[in-house]
Amino acid sequence: MSKIFAIAFNTFKEAVRNRILYILLVFALLIMASSGIVGELTISARDRVIKDLGTASISFFGLLIAIFVGIGLVYNELDKKTIYTIVTKPIDRHQFLIGKYLGLLLTIYVNILIMTFFFLAVIYYQQYMGDETVTRSLWTRLPNGEWIAPTFLTYFFYYIKSIIFSGARGLGTLILVYRVDATADILPLVFYSCLEMAIITAFAILYSSFSTPTLSALLTILTFVIGRLNADIIIFADRLKGKGLTTLANKIKYDFAWLAAHVTPNLWLFNRRTSLAVDTVEVRIEPYPIIYGILYSVAIIYLAVHIFRRRNFK
Amino acid sequence: MPVPIVQIRNLTKIYIRDVIGTEFGRLKIRLKNRKVAALKSLTLDVNEGEIFGLLGPNGAGKTTVIKILMGLIFPTSGFATLMGKPLGDKSVKASIGFLPENPYFYDYLKGYEFLNYYGQLYGMSAERRRRKIPELLELVGLTSSADLPLKGYSKGMLQRIGLAQALLNDPRIVFLDEPQSGLDPFGRKEVRDLILSLKERGATVFFSSHILSDAEAICDRVAILSKGALVNVGALDEILSARIKAYEIEAMDVPEALVSELEKISVQFVRRAKTLLFVIEKEDLAEQTVKRIINSPGRLVSYTPRRETLEEYFIRNIEKQQ
Repeated sequence: MSKIFAIAFNTFKEAVRNRILYILLVFALLIMASSGIVGELTISARDRVIKDLGTASISFFGLLIAIFVGIGLVYNELDKKTIYTIVTKPIDRHQFLIGKYLGLLLTIYVNILIMTFFFLAVIYYQQYMGDETVTRSLWTRLPNGEWIAPTFLTYFFYYIKSIIFSGARGLGTLILVYRVDATADILPLVFYSCLEMAIITAFAILYSSFSTPTLSALLTILTFVIGRLNADIIIFADRLKGKGLTTLANKIKYDFAWLAAHVTPNLWLFNRRTSLAVDTVEVRIEPYPIIYGILYSVAIIYLAVHIFRRRNFK
Repeated sequence: MPVPIVQIRNLTKIYIRDVIGTEFGRLKIRLKNRKVAALKSLTLDVNEGEIFGLLGPNGAGKTTVIKILMGLIFPTSGFATLMGKPLGDKSVKASIGFLPENPYFYDYLKGYEFLNYYGQLYGMSAERRRRKIPELLELVGLTSSADLPLKGYSKGMLQRIGLAQALLNDPRIVFLDEPQSGLDPFGRKEVRDLILSLKERGATVFFSSHILSDAEAICDRVAILSKGALVNVGALDEILSARIKAYEIEAMDVPEALVSELEKISVQFVRRAKTLLFVIEKEDLAEQTVKRIINSPGRLVSYTPRRETLEEYFIRNIEKQQ
C-alpha cells in the first residue's frame, strides 16, 4: 500500500510541476471571475446563471485536466521508458497503475478544491458589491443634505476588505463552518463532479494504457459526451421503439443506441445542475450515485490493470 | 555444482509487426503480419559472483534478453529463472538492480528526490533511505548535484544517477544495459571501476555492451550474440584462442631496400612518424625478420607476439555468419 501511495504522490508531484496544469487553472479562474459579468446580462435568473457557469467550469476543467495532464502521465512513462526502472522494482504492475490513478485523481481534486474556493469567493464578493445598503454607507451626508462621494482611498480599502471577507467566507463554506442558502447547493454539486471525475479519470487511464495520447484524448472526450447524453439516448431509443421497429434500419438504430447507452457510464446521474432551475429543489447527496461512481471506477481500473499486466514494454 | 544465478533455457522472442501491404493489381489492401525473431532459442547460464558480458552488434538481441529477464516483455517460448525463481517474482525483484540503455528519468525530480522515490518503491525504511542515498550519491560522484533537477543533468550524470538507483537495495545481481554508451573515456573508466567494485562486494554483474575493449578488460565470461542467436559463450581465454595470432615488429632506420622486401612478407605494414611496423603471421618468418633488422643498420624497437583481440574474433565470426 505504501508503494501505491509513493507512486500516487510522485504522480501528483509530476502534475504539479507541469505547466499545463497552471494554464488550465488560470483559465478556469478567469471564467469564474467573469461569471458576474455574464450574470449581468440576464434578466431574472442571475444567481442561477452564475452558479451554472461556475459549476460547469469546475467539471469542464476537471475533464480537461484529466485529459491533458492525465493521459500524458501514463503515456510518457512508456514513451520515455521511465517505466523500465519502475516495474523492475519489487512492485506489481497493478500497483503502478492504481498509484497513477490515485495520483491523478488527487491532482484533479486539489484543483477542484481551488476552483470551488475561488468560485465561492466570487459569489460572496458579488453579494458584497451588489448590496446597496453596504455601498451606500460609504457615502457621507453633509448637514445641508448633500451627499459626498467616497474618496478613491475609501473605495480601495472597501475593495480590499470585501476580497478578504469573501475569501474567508469561501473558506468557511468549504470547511463546512459557514453556511448560507445562496451557496448551499454548490458543495453537493461539486461532490457529484468529483464522482464523475473518478469515472472519467479511470477511463483516461484505461485508454492510455493501450493507445496513443491523441487517441486516448479523443476516446475520453467521446466517453464523456456519450456518458452525459446517456439518459437522452435511452429516451430517444425508447421513443423509437414505441413507434414500432418495423424497418431494419430502425431496428439497427435502436440496437446501436441501446448498446452505446449501456457500455458508457451514465454520467447523467452526476449532473444535478438542472435542479438549480427550480429553486425549491434541494440538491441532496444520495447513496446510489456514490455507489455507482465507485463501482464503475473500480471496474474500469480493473480492466486497465488487466490490459496493462499483459503488455510488452518495447 | 551450485544453481546458476541466471538460467536461460531456449528463450525465443518473436515480434509480430503489422505491415500494411497493398496489391495494386486488383487493389487489395491487407494487413500482413511480418514476424521478426529477435531472439532464437537462447540457452545460457550465469554463475554467482561473476562479471558476465553480453556482447554483440546492434540489433543482436542483447536488450531483448535483458528486457525478458527484467519482466518488461514476455518471451514467445522458453523460460528463464533468476536466483532459481521464475521471472517477475517480487522477492527476486527486491534483490536485483537494473540500469536500462540510455536511461531517462523523471526530469522534474531532483537527484535526491529521485533516489528517495525509488527507495520507497524498494520498500526501504525512511531511516535506511536517509543513510543509503548520500552514500550512493558519493559513490557516483553526484553529491554536489543532489539538489538539482534531473532536467539539468548531462548524459553522463544521468547514467551515474541511473547506476545509483540500480544499487539502492545492495543488489545480489545487477543488470546493466549498455552502461558505457554515450560516456566519455573518464566516465567509461568510472563505470568499469564501479563494476569491479561491485564484484568485490560479491555481487553478480550482467551487462551488455558493444564496446569490446571495455568488456575485455573486466569480464569473467562473455556470451556473443548475433542476429538473435548465440555465437559463443565462455571465459575470454577459452573463446579467444590462446594461439598467437601475429607478431608485431617495430623498427627504425631500416634501409629502404630491406623495407620493401619485408613489406612483401608482412600482412600489415604501417609507416609511423619515426618507426616502421611490420605485422607478420608466421613465427619463423618473424624471427628471420628480427635477425635481418638487427644485422642491418636499422634498429629493433620492439617485438611483440599478439593474441587475437575480442574485436577481431567478433568481426571474424560475425563475418562468417553473413
